[in-house]
Parts: sequence; structure tokens; C-alpha cells
Amino acid sequence: MLLLEGFTTALQPVYLLYALGGVFVGTAVGVLPGIGPAMTVALLMPITYALDPAAALIVFAGIYYGGMYGGSTTSILLNTPGESSSIVTALEGNKMAKAGRGAAALATAAIGSFIAGTIATVLLSFLAPVVAELAVGLGPVDYVALMVVAFLTVGALLGASVLRGLASLALGLFIGLIGIDDSTAQQRFTFDNPNLVDGIDMVLVAVGLFALGEALYVASKLRHGPVEVIPVSKGKNAWLSKEDWQRSWKPWLRGTFIGFPIGTVPAGGADVSTFLSYAAERRLAKGPRKAQFGRGAIEGVAGPEAANNAAAAGVLVPLLTLGIPTTATAAMMLTAFQRYQIQPGPLLFENQGALVWTLIASLYVGNLMLLVLNLPLVGLWVKILQIPRPYLYAGILVFAALGAFSVNFSPSDVGVLLVVGVLGYFMRRYGYPVAPMVVAMILGPMFEVQLRRSLQLSQNDPTALLSTPFAVVVYATMALIFLGSWWLRRRQAALEATTEKESVSV
Amino acid sequence: MSSHALTPARRPTGEILFALLFVSVGAAGLLTAGSIPIPPSETGIGPRAFPYIVCIMLVLVGTGIVVQVLRGKVGQAEEGEDLDVTAKTDWAALAKLVGFVVLHIFLIEPAGWPVAAAVLFTGSAWTLEAKPLWKAALVSVIMALVLQYVFGGLLGVSLPPGPLLEGVPFFHG
Repeated sequence: MLLLEGFTTALQPVYLLYALGGVFVGTAVGVLPGIGPAMTVALLMPITYALDPAAALIVFAGIYYGGMYGGSTTSILLNTPGESSSIVTALEGNKMAKAGRGAAALATAAIGSFIAGTIATVLLSFLAPVVAELAVGLGPVDYVALMVVAFLTVGALLGASVLRGLASLALGLFIGLIGIDDSTAQQRFTFDNPNLVDGIDMVLVAVGLFALGEALYVASKLRHGPVEVIPVSKGKNAWLSKEDWQRSWKPWLRGTFIGFPIGTVPAGGADVSTFLSYAAERRLAKGPRKAQFGRGAIEGVAGPEAANNAAAAGVLVPLLTLGIPTTATAAMMLTAFQRYQIQPGPLLFENQGALVWTLIASLYVGNLMLLVLNLPLVGLWVKILQIPRPYLYAGILVFAALGAFSVNFSPSDVGVLLVVGVLGYFMRRYGYPVAPMVVAMILGPMFEVQLRRSLQLSQNDPTALLSTPFAVVVYATMALIFLGSWWLRRRQAALEATTEKESVSV
Repeated sequence: MSSHALTPARRPTGEILFALLFVSVGAAGLLTAGSIPIPPSETGIGPRAFPYIVCIMLVLVGTGIVVQVLRGKVGQAEEGEDLDVTAKTDWAALAKLVGFVVLHIFLIEPAGWPVAAAVLFTGSAWTLEAKPLWKAALVSVIMALVLQYVFGGLLGVSLPPGPLLEGVPFFHG
């Protein structure tokens, strides 16, 4: 079996070390406040530049899962949680930590993430080859439909403001246009500037928006004074009790099966799945446990954490089999793949089978390592959380500059980084989501190629875009998703309203 | 989340200007897209169609945001762990940080990457009120040398060591 071959590669001592390094660095950076998984991958890209493709992918697999883990530690232990995919974890986890149950919250998050990550990776191993086989039969018209869905969900569904999401999306599409047109080799929007002929590098935009933009934004309103970390109590009582296990295992499994499907369709990945899982646990809880929600219910940590990690694995299905990133983190992974001339898509499993299976095998390995690493190293993560903020953000600036410079070893690239960073600052200030811009920049050129190909085949008849049953189904589903998300959004608002009321009344 | 109540009221001038930036990028694109050459062999929609679509989208969406803001629907500033959302924007800190990045850019080649990185770190830490400053400077030098060693020496990323460290072999790839 191919997966076994993947394991034989991934289990070589050197590659195990790379995996260990990846999960360690991924978690350490993911723990840092304000750094989400996408920024973790973007910032750590330079460390893989000199590695061979297999080693690089193994490191990325580790960083990807590690970054997800790290975020939950932050939201449980820091008084002021932030990242969107871990906000839900913070609702209950933060309360648990304040009540002296921090260790139990971290444990249920870590074990839940491990279980969900493992089940979801098994599902990925079985599902991905099947989807890839089906995807071989897809034509340009079908791809156009899939990408329209990806654009609309990422741009319009996921932010607080539809128009701002679309503006971010359009700007990303525009930047993606700069450079040489793939189909006709004509220059577009280069204004005869030789630096623009090759286009603007994705890494510069991503690091600029995520790292530099965030650092500038935080610097403009930095919370001064000491960092408050909730202490983690030690001792026998702090660990998961028998009751905690009983209360946790069902949410873990439910979270997994909520998260994975949501990750595989372009419906927002981790964020949406954690909210859904939280809402489900809250509704299913009975009696005194229901009353605990909002005051530190362990189910409210176990479920969403599992959903978060299962969704992270689910996102890899469209990424590997169709080459379509549905989240900013996935867009960063795709950029990393492309650096090694690996083009995800239906043919990936045929052309680069050994590499893909090594990647999937290392996801299993990384997941196990995270479980083993995470709990004993809580003390270290707490230390990382306490890094004085001036050093933290100065360090992010240096790393962002390093990442930008090492793309082409050109100082002018750092200048591009700065311009994008200032843009990222204003986008945060005025409530524009940055993720759609990153996804659009990488998906835009692919979309245009497929769109032009489909129209060329039909002699420019636009109705051809609805000519395949698959495309029709996709557009119909999209309409349903939009209706569904409108409903979800109302539920989410209602949920937030009730939790707010409760936290006020407590 | 519940930032409506927390965000202090502000004049939306900046926000309108920022939305107009999207409109003007779109408008500039519309004006220049017509000069993209179309090869005679082209039978499809050609290299101009998609740029036109994107630029029209930029103009429409940007205009839509301006209208929304004028009607009082301002954007929700992002929240974060280290943010004091009630604080006033520290423009001086922003200007200093941008200035240090610019300085970094001009230092990389003449002075070498470690020097440029140490200056960027110290300058940023100073801007963000790290105390004491000598400690930040010390951290920056150690960090720059370690990064130069790890990336330039071990990982083979060719960062220029600069005239000061030119002779030290393990700082090269």
C-alpha cells in the first residue's frame, strides 16, 4: 500500500527529526499571541528553502498541525484571547483556567486534537485518492464553478462585512493580475517596471499582510504593562478526572465529524466548525452541565478543539486533490508546494505519489508527536507566552524582513513587504479581512486560465459555464450554502448575545 | 464581537479615503487595461477581459463601502490578545517602525544582514518601549548572529554577512 511506503519514508530517523522540528517550531510560533496558523506557515517558510521537497513537506505538515495546537494554548492561558479559530475554545477554556482547571482544559484540548486529527487524517487518506480519481474527469467549466464557490465563501461569507471581504478579494485578484499573462505571455499592469514583470511574489504579500500588518497594528495600540498568564495548577487533581474523560470523549468524536466535512467543502474551515461544535455541545448538555456553559464547561473545550483539528485535515482534501485552497493557511501551504514545483491537483497522486503519501504519513507522525510534546512542555509554552511584547513584535518584524529578503535576496523585496504591511495595517484598522486577499491572489490566476479555456472551447458562449451537470450542482449547492450560512450567522449572533449576557450576569 | 460599544467614536474620513483607494486602483486599472496587447491568434476572451472584470469589481465594491460608511456603518477594527482597543492610535510608533524597516532595507547590502537585523530589532524594541534599552540591544546582537548562523551557515540561505563578519566562515552558506 502506498501509505505504508509513505510511512517508511516519514519514519526514517532524519525525517523524524524534521517532523519533530516542524511540530516544535510550529507550536512555539503558534503559541505566540496574535500569530495564527496562516502567519505561522508564512513566517516559517524560509526555514525550508534549502531542504529537499520531502523534508520540506514534512516540516510543513508539522508546522501546520503545530500552529493549530499552539493557538489553543494561547486562548486558554492568556487573559485576552484573539485568534478566530480558537475564540470558541477561549469561551470555556479561559474560564476553566481561571477556576484552576487550566491543566484539564489543556489536556482535553490536546487529547481531543490528537483523536480528531488522527481520525480526520485516516478519513483524508481514504477520501483523497477517491476524490482525485473523480477530479481527473473534471473539465475547465467544472473548475470555474468550484473556484467561484471558493471565492465567494472566502470573500463574502467569512468576514463581518460582505463588502469589505469582497474588496479584499478584488484587491487580491488585481495583484494576482500583475505580471505576465499565463495564456498569451503579454505583460499586464507592469507599467514597464522590470521588477513587476514576474509578478509580485505571494510570500511577500502573505508575510506583509499577516506578519508586518499585524505587528504594525498591534504596535499602534499596544497594551503596555505586564503580560497576564493564568497559572496552570499542578498536582493530581489538576489532571483529567474520570468524570472529565466521560464528559470529553463524546464531544471529541462529535467535533471530529462536524469539523472534517466542513473542512473539505469551501465553507470557512476551522472557524465555522468550532462555532457549530460549540453550539451542538451546548444544546446537547443537560441539567447542571448545561448551566456550566459560560463558566468553564469542559465539553465546550473538547468539542471545538476536536472540530478545529479535524477541519484542518479536511482542508487538505480540496487542496491536494483539486489544487484549490479554501483558507488562508491552505493558500500558504499551496505556495510552499509550488516552490518545490509540486502542483496539487487530480494528477498529484499519480505524478508525485511518493511525496504525497509521505506528507500524509507525516501528518500521523506529527499528530502523535504533538500529543507527546504538548502536555509535558506546557511550562515552556507559558514562558513563550510571557515574552515581553516589545521583543515579541520586534522579533516578528525581523523575521518578516528575513522571509521577504530570502525570497530573491533582493532588498527591494523588503520594500514591497513594507508597502503590503502598511496596507495590512489599514485593512485591520478599518475591518477588512486579509484572508480573502491572500486566497484570491493565488486562486485568481488559476481561475482566469480555466475561465478562458472554457470560453474558448465554446466559442465564447457564456452559457457554456453551465454546460456540465457537475457545474450546475455546484452552483445550486452554493446557493444552498449561502442560505445556510445566513441562518448560521444569525445563530452565531444569537449565541454571542446569550454568552455575553451570561458573562455579564455572572 | 462586542466591539461596537468599545470602539471609541471616530471620524470616518480615514476610512473613506481607504475605500477610495480601492476605487482608484480599479479606475487606474480600467484606464490602462485597454493598452494590454492582444495577440492576433487570440480566439477567446483575451487577456483584457478578466482585468476589466476585476477593476469594475474594485470600483463597485469600493464605492459601496464609501456609501455604507457615509450612512454610518463603519468597519469593526480587528481585536487581538495584545491590543488595547480603547487606546488611541500611536502614530509616532507606527512612523518609527516604518522608518526602521526602511533603514533595514538600506543597510542589508552595505552593512550586512546581521547588522541590519540588529538595528531593526533594537529600533523596534525601543519604539515599543522595551526597558532597559541596553538589554534589547544585547538581545538583538545575539539574535542576529544566531539567525545568521542558522540560516546562512546551517540552512544554506545566502544572507550577506557584511564587511564585519566577512572573514568568519560559519556565517556563509
